Amino acid sequence: MTPLELGLLFGGATLAALFSGMPIAFALGGVATVFMLAFMPAASVDTIAQNVYEELASITLLTIPLFILKGAAIGKSRAGKDLYDALHTWLHRIPGGLGVAVVLACGLFAAMAGSSPATCSAIGSSGIPEMRRRGYSPGFAAGLVAAGGTLGILLPPSIVMILYAVASEQSLGRLFLAGIGPGLLLVGLFATYAMLHWKKEHTKALAAHRDTGAESELLRVDHFTFREKLSALPRVMPFVLLLSGVMIALYSGIATPSETAGLGAVMALLLIAAVYGAWRLRDLKPIFLGTLGESGMLLMIIGMSLLYSYVMSYLHIFQSAAAWIVGLHLSKWLLLAAMLLMVMVLGFFLPPVSIILMTSTIVLPPLKAAGFDLVWFGVVMVVVMEMGLIHPPVGLNIFVINRIAPDIGLSPIIWGTLPFVALMMLAVVILSAFPGIALWLPNLVYG
Amino acid sequence: MTDAVLSDGSTPPDVPRTGVLGAIQALVDWVNGAMAVVSSIAIGVAGLVLTWEVIGRYFLKIASDWQDEFSALLLIGATFASAAWTQARRGHVGIDALAHLLPPGADAVRRWLADLCAFAFCAYFAWKCGKLLMEALDEGQTSPSAWGPPLWIPYGSMTAGMALLSVQLLLQTLRGPVRR
Repeated sequence: MTPLELGLLFGGATLAALFSGMPIAFALGGVATVFMLAFMPAASVDTIAQNVYEELASITLLTIPLFILKGAAIGKSRAGKDLYDALHTWLHRIPGGLGVAVVLACGLFAAMAGSSPATCSAIGSSGIPEMRRRGYSPGFAAGLVAAGGTLGILLPPSIVMILYAVASEQSLGRLFLAGIGPGLLLVGLFATYAMLHWKKEHTKALAAHRDTGAESELLRVDHFTFREKLSALPRVMPFVLLLSGVMIALYSGIATPSETAGLGAVMALLLIAAVYGAWRLRDLKPIFLGTLGESGMLLMIIGMSLLYSYVMSYLHIFQSAAAWIVGLHLSKWLLLAAMLLMVMVLGFFLPPVSIILMTSTIVLPPLKAAGFDLVWFGVVMVVVMEMGLIHPPVGLNIFVINRIAPDIGLSPIIWGTLPFVALMMLAVVILSAFPGIALWLPNLVYG
Repeated sequence: MTDAVLSDGSTPPDVPRTGVLGAIQALVDWVNGAMAVVSSIAIGVAGLVLTWEVIGRYFLKIASDWQDEFSALLLIGATFASAAWTQARRGHVGIDALAHLLPPGADAVRRWLADLCAFAFCAYFAWKCGKLLMEALDEGQTSPSAWGPPLWIPYGSMTAGMALLSVQLLLQTLRGPVRR
């Protein structure tokens, strides 16, 4: 059988297994095992358990449960609400200040928790009701939080970046830093949209008030004294210090990435104990069980994806696919567009973790040969995968929002997220035109 | 995709609750619960060990030679030991796109077949883990690092975890197709 025929058979079997509804981890592991039995020497099948163990025993990969623990500790506390309340008191004077506060709170929380669903849930559970109370349309409020939540996979410490670092053999430190510029770009775009959209809704409310005398919460003006602004800070500052402290420990050479994950998790647990008194078993149980469920599911997918990649590599499917792509002699930017389109389509069905591990070995060699910086591509790929979090059919953040604000309904939530999908596309174009947005910081630190 | 770990802590309808299968499931639930507690403790201890590694190396100038590997063993152990607990809550995510396209009866059969295939793979993988464990015990294999812990520890946790996961999947398969 030629590598092309084998590749088509492998791809078809994978699609059939995934769409059967089998858990992704077992579908990938099952397909890999069947192909090992059919097309590889018998001795190689004897080592499948050892392969999975050796791939998983990477201390970089094993930072994932600890970053999830840190996120769960912060996510299950009231830190999200406090963060957004504090930002609102400081930003209420600018047009659409509440929406801007929500976007900034999402960015900061995502950087502390490293998880998109946790960010949506923590900020959305207080932010969406408050925005709706203040006259924001339900779809707009939901879209803002869903999109803000996606920053969790871009800003450090992003679990998706950790996986990309392993799959592409790029420096994790560089990748973490490369996510900051594009993260700020997205925060800026989302905040600008929040202000413009608020202005539009405000103008309508003002016109209605003039014509009919109808009152709207959008027209209410907030006032906070300086004392109120200062009093909002003490609950937030420890978490901001945690965020900056962990990053300083990582980049000043005090701690390795794995130690940073451990240190961050322990510090987050100590902080919620000190600030919110969350130290009893009933407080800790949901944090640890939530961590266990998410990290166990992710690591099982990662372990089996690595077995799947090993089989693809052994059967020369990767190499043949990469050689075929190079042989097409596409222009540099057409090649990039084709790769990103493939990532986007995969994002309709698969979580970012699987996309990275299943596609990196095929996608990266042609892009490297075309002269793209793989750290830069990692960031762009993550932005494209962020879109998958807020558009159907997977759209994990859409379902998180639907769970915390079920009365809005799926349809308005989806319509509310679409402008943000367009903004993310715009961000990809900007990053392609100005790659320095992603690369200047890692180049500054690492040279 | 299916929901990751049901938020209300309830078990899904296709986990057996009555008859002989229900009794076995109750026993497996108890074991799963114990494994979840042990795994949670392992994750917490891994965090503490890595924190100690920073304090010891940076502030106390103590050499760090075992902490990374010990944490890796704890976290791999936690991943496999809790796999069945996660499966009992349908926490291992899959693509459920066909659920909305198929009639309820056909969809129940689809999910049952998916469970059967997942069981076949996990049981095979558990058997391979068991063989690896036996080899590690017979040959006294240790990790190649300076610390060199015996490899039966991670292989044992993989074997136990995958075997328990296979039992969980078998119970869900024996329950037969269930309409949602």
